[in-house]
Amino acid sequence: MVTAILGAVGVALPVINVLRRESGSNMFYAAIALGALAAAISYVVSQVAMGTVAASQVLSGDVVADDLLGAFFAIAMLIVAVFTTVSSFAYMRERRYPAVYYSLILLSAVGMVMVAYANDLVVLFVAWELMSIPTYVLAGFNKRDPSSNEAAIKYFMFGALASALIVYAISLAYGLTGTTDIAGVVAGMAALDASLVPLALLAGALFVAGFGFKMGLVPFHMWLPDAYEGSPPPVTALLAAGTKKAGFAAAVRVVVIGMAALSVDWALALAIIAVMTMTVGNVAAVMQKSLSRMLAYSSIGHAGYILIGLAVAPYSATALPGSLLHVLNHAVMKGVAFVAIVGTVTALATAHIDRLRGLGRRMPITAVGITVSLLALAGVPPLNGFWSKLVLFGAAIDAGAAAPWAPWLAIAGVLNSALSLAYYGWVIRKMYFEDSGGERVREPRAIIAVVAFSVGFMVAFGVYPEPLIQLAQSAAPASLMP
Amino acid sequence: MAEHEGLLAAAAWLVWIVPFAAALTMPALKRWQGRVPGWAAIAGAAASALLAASLLPGALAGGEVHAQTSWIAAVGLEAGVLADPLAVIMSNVVAWISLLIVIYATGYMRGDPHIVRFWFWIMFFVGSMQLIVLSDNLLQMFFGWEGVGLASYALIGFWYRDKKKDHVGTEGRTVLGMLDYYAPTHAGMKAFIMTKIGDVMMLAGMFLIFAYAGTFGFRELVGDTAWAEAMGAQGLLVPALVLLFGGAIGKSAQFPLNEWLLEAMTGPTAVSALIHAATMVKAGVFLVARLGPIAFALGASGLLADQFFEVVAWVGAITALLLASQGMVNPEIKKVLAYSTGSQIGYMMMAFGVAGLSEQFVDGYTAGFYHLISHAMFKASLFMAAGSLLHVVGSRFMTDMGGLRRHMRKTYAFVWAAGLALMGAPFITTGFWSKDAIFASVFESGSEWAMPIFAIAVVTAVITAFYTTRMIGMVFFGPKSEHVRKLESEGHGIHEAPLSMWVPYGVLAAVTIAIGVMGLAFEESLHHLFGGYLEESFGIHSPHGEGEHPALPAPLSGLNPVALGASLAAFGVGIGLGYAFYVGRWIDPARFVASNPVFRGMHAVLLSRWYINAAIYWCFVVSPLWLARGVFRYFERTAIDAGMNTGLERAVGWAARVVQGAQTGITQSYLYVFGAGLLLVALMLLM
Repeated sequence: MVTAILGAVGVALPVINVLRRESGSNMFYAAIALGALAAAISYVVSQVAMGTVAASQVLSGDVVADDLLGAFFAIAMLIVAVFTTVSSFAYMRERRYPAVYYSLILLSAVGMVMVAYANDLVVLFVAWELMSIPTYVLAGFNKRDPSSNEAAIKYFMFGALASALIVYAISLAYGLTGTTDIAGVVAGMAALDASLVPLALLAGALFVAGFGFKMGLVPFHMWLPDAYEGSPPPVTALLAAGTKKAGFAAAVRVVVIGMAALSVDWALALAIIAVMTMTVGNVAAVMQKSLSRMLAYSSIGHAGYILIGLAVAPYSATALPGSLLHVLNHAVMKGVAFVAIVGTVTALATAHIDRLRGLGRRMPITAVGITVSLLALAGVPPLNGFWSKLVLFGAAIDAGAAAPWAPWLAIAGVLNSALSLAYYGWVIRKMYFEDSGGERVREPRAIIAVVAFSVGFMVAFGVYPEPLIQLAQSAAPASLMP
Repeated sequence: MAEHEGLLAAAAWLVWIVPFAAALTMPALKRWQGRVPGWAAIAGAAASALLAASLLPGALAGGEVHAQTSWIAAVGLEAGVLADPLAVIMSNVVAWISLLIVIYATGYMRGDPHIVRFWFWIMFFVGSMQLIVLSDNLLQMFFGWEGVGLASYALIGFWYRDKKKDHVGTEGRTVLGMLDYYAPTHAGMKAFIMTKIGDVMMLAGMFLIFAYAGTFGFRELVGDTAWAEAMGAQGLLVPALVLLFGGAIGKSAQFPLNEWLLEAMTGPTAVSALIHAATMVKAGVFLVARLGPIAFALGASGLLADQFFEVVAWVGAITALLLASQGMVNPEIKKVLAYSTGSQIGYMMMAFGVAGLSEQFVDGYTAGFYHLISHAMFKASLFMAAGSLLHVVGSRFMTDMGGLRRHMRKTYAFVWAAGLALMGAPFITTGFWSKDAIFASVFESGSEWAMPIFAIAVVTAVITAFYTTRMIGMVFFGPKSEHVRKLESEGHGIHEAPLSMWVPYGVLAAVTIAIGVMGLAFEESLHHLFGGYLEESFGIHSPHGEGEHPALPAPLSGLNPVALGASLAAFGVGIGLGYAFYVGRWIDPARFVASNPVFRGMHAVLLSRWYINAAIYWCFVVSPLWLARGVFRYFERTAIDAGMNTGLERAVGWAARVVQGAQTGITQSYLYVFGAGLLLVALMLLM
């Protein structure tokens, strides 16, 4: 249903463009795209609100599972798609080919939503490609800008590599179990002959690497800062806050479930990756000069936090809900931060941190958006980021009963959060306590709208996190809980 | 019926949510400036007051509304409103007085360029205050508690440009080498920090109880007393209660955290009336009224919290006397009222403390709460009148006033009415009845401390009557001061304050007298209400009804003759002395003080605030600053800066460069890393 709306509109947009024989009416296409996304998101939310969506159906055996897990990711990713579209109102105003641009966003959104719902490895792979390929184009959308080209090329090369790894992993899984249905694969893996287990593990490793590329896990992250910095900022928002989450959706469905079935200690491997990821991300972010690059590294760091939940999932009932919660929160926090960058790029033509001095006076609303989102990312209460980190780290500590190494994840996470406050605080200091003497500039309305929504979201669910926590708890697959 | 209760619960939520919403709309009204924000504030305050009033019928019938919703399930916290008789009456006092003061402030603050900020904080304050009153648990209450503290800080320092006219104290006067002259920003900070000391204690007490009880809820704490037994066994029960009382000491400006209240008078007078007289400083009293019955009810299971009540009673008694004594000599009208406020709150604490030491818990409880209500009314009225005087005369010193009674007839009349209530003028003022009830409950408590505390209460009453008469005499009687004559010669005649200002304090003064005339009946119905409330909610049974004293004629037979006599005598002596010095002016006070070295010394001590304020500054401000400078020079510069800071910074910088160094931008190397990572993961899994 959702995919149908988005897909139809996504395909229709270029057609309309050809029929109208004109170009440049950015608002027109943006409005159509936004309408489609809004319809999709309200459909999903209303389904969830009415309670008609079944709880997690990971092992149902259907090709596409209409379950809360999928709905949860779909909501997170559609929110980001809406952010991207809205902020593109401002960004695409002076740029060409809007029809193609919005159409690509919609198609990518279709892919993301399908990844969220996919319950079959082949469907998953198709969705994955549908999601990825438009974003390669989008990353290079500024075709006269060399850094945009560089971003697209690097992103594409790694994307291709990752896709190849995923296909290889799928083929291994199919070879071992004779099916591509996730439930079947899991059942098959559980009954695997001992001599074949290494092959299954190899498939797992390939999945981790393939999905890890999108998630930005260290050491599969190298492309990420270059691509995020070079892409048009709204696209970066889509990549950092949206498609990245698709990686987690896939990982939850495939890796975590498989991990439980194989009953081998994958958890420690994921934990090591989690610690590496968060540490490298945060340490590298400290010295960045460009806000978008800093946020790119910060999103690597956050991938590490989310991975904590995946790593300790077999040992704690709150681990996966914590990850899901952080996925949704991070989508909003990081999404609005990048949207705010779209604002500074359109209004001031810069995202360089030194140039953001006095932003609190020059673009007060944008600055508030950046400030609140950075504080939320750092996990300052009472903002939403605090609660998801609390749940995640709490799960890691709980898991200590079964896995002695797990509490160290919480310690690493807390230390990294403290470190991250150093560079977030630096940006806030630049914006409010230093002055460039520049004039106040007009802030694009679209950006204001996104900032207002997100600040409301971050504060409201910071003060009253209960509904989100509940939703995440019911969305997380319960079958592998101890 | 269930639907009806749902509506009441919604009203109880909205009572505090509406003012917050009004606060949030204020910035949006900035565009119109002018009167619009004021009207919005009135609308918000009125809506909140009507909602509060809608809770009244049920509460007066002894009912309660308790609604809860899940707040943070991860740690098992619930949010809720508890509209029991105590909360509903308090909520109405707060709501209606706020409404009057908001109306007053539209006149008082007219033309202020920062009016939007003012209204934001006022409405934020009202919302936070109602949150304190209606919360059903300590933690949620603490949010309101901090909210009012924040609003208080922001409004004390509202005139942040620190102009000379906004200071308090006498310029150039020093006490023990400390300037006794404070700027608004300094005063705001002082209030914030001093009350925080209490708040930290309160937090500690809260979490101590939570650690044993696993809940912050007032109802839950009564329901199951296993927590108290466990704490009692470890000797932690009384310390935890006293820690909680620490919050009340700070917020209600009780000894030894009383000094911030005087400097809080740098705020606009409407703020002083609202926050530092009628409502916020009562939060501490309210907290004691919330906790007192819980602590007392533990007595039934053999856990005596007597020491807690002794602390409360003595803190109240000391504060009452200490602050009243300073009120006798201060030349600033608002500071006299501030001393009086602290002192009167001391009476309330005294009543609650003594209640816990007596068999007749409900007597002291009713007396304390009755005094809270009557004080809120007459003191708010007095403060607003003082604001009018400041507004008209343009000076905070009573020595700059004098002889104003013919020019401001309405204000004059209202100050007398409210002032008489403060003095406890017999039979026609609320102040008399509530104070008499406190006297009686102290006298009849049967505690070993009853007599000394009773003596302090009576002496304080004498002083109270004296300083109130002094204030009225200095402002309205005698010759006009030079300042007033100068104003008149410049053509600024002294005139009555505008309608929007005198009506609110007129209303309150009239209500003070109206309730005063039927004061005994009012007290009896309050007594009856609280008697039922304490019995039903806490199982506190008072052995007999109100004492009968056949020695007195029929209408007064409910009164204790000793307390009544003491009360009448104190009023008579106090007002007589005050009249002789300041109204009749038969004796010159300056010459009287100068006549005798003992009087001179006492006058100096009182004017220097018993040296407490200066001592606090020496011990907790000046010495730590010295220490800090020493640490900075000999430790920070050497060990921290040179060693750790630079070292840590270098280490992080180095690590960041290493990571960045890997980020070459060359795709091939990226691919190598990717491949290596894949190998690594595979190896980790296969191992």
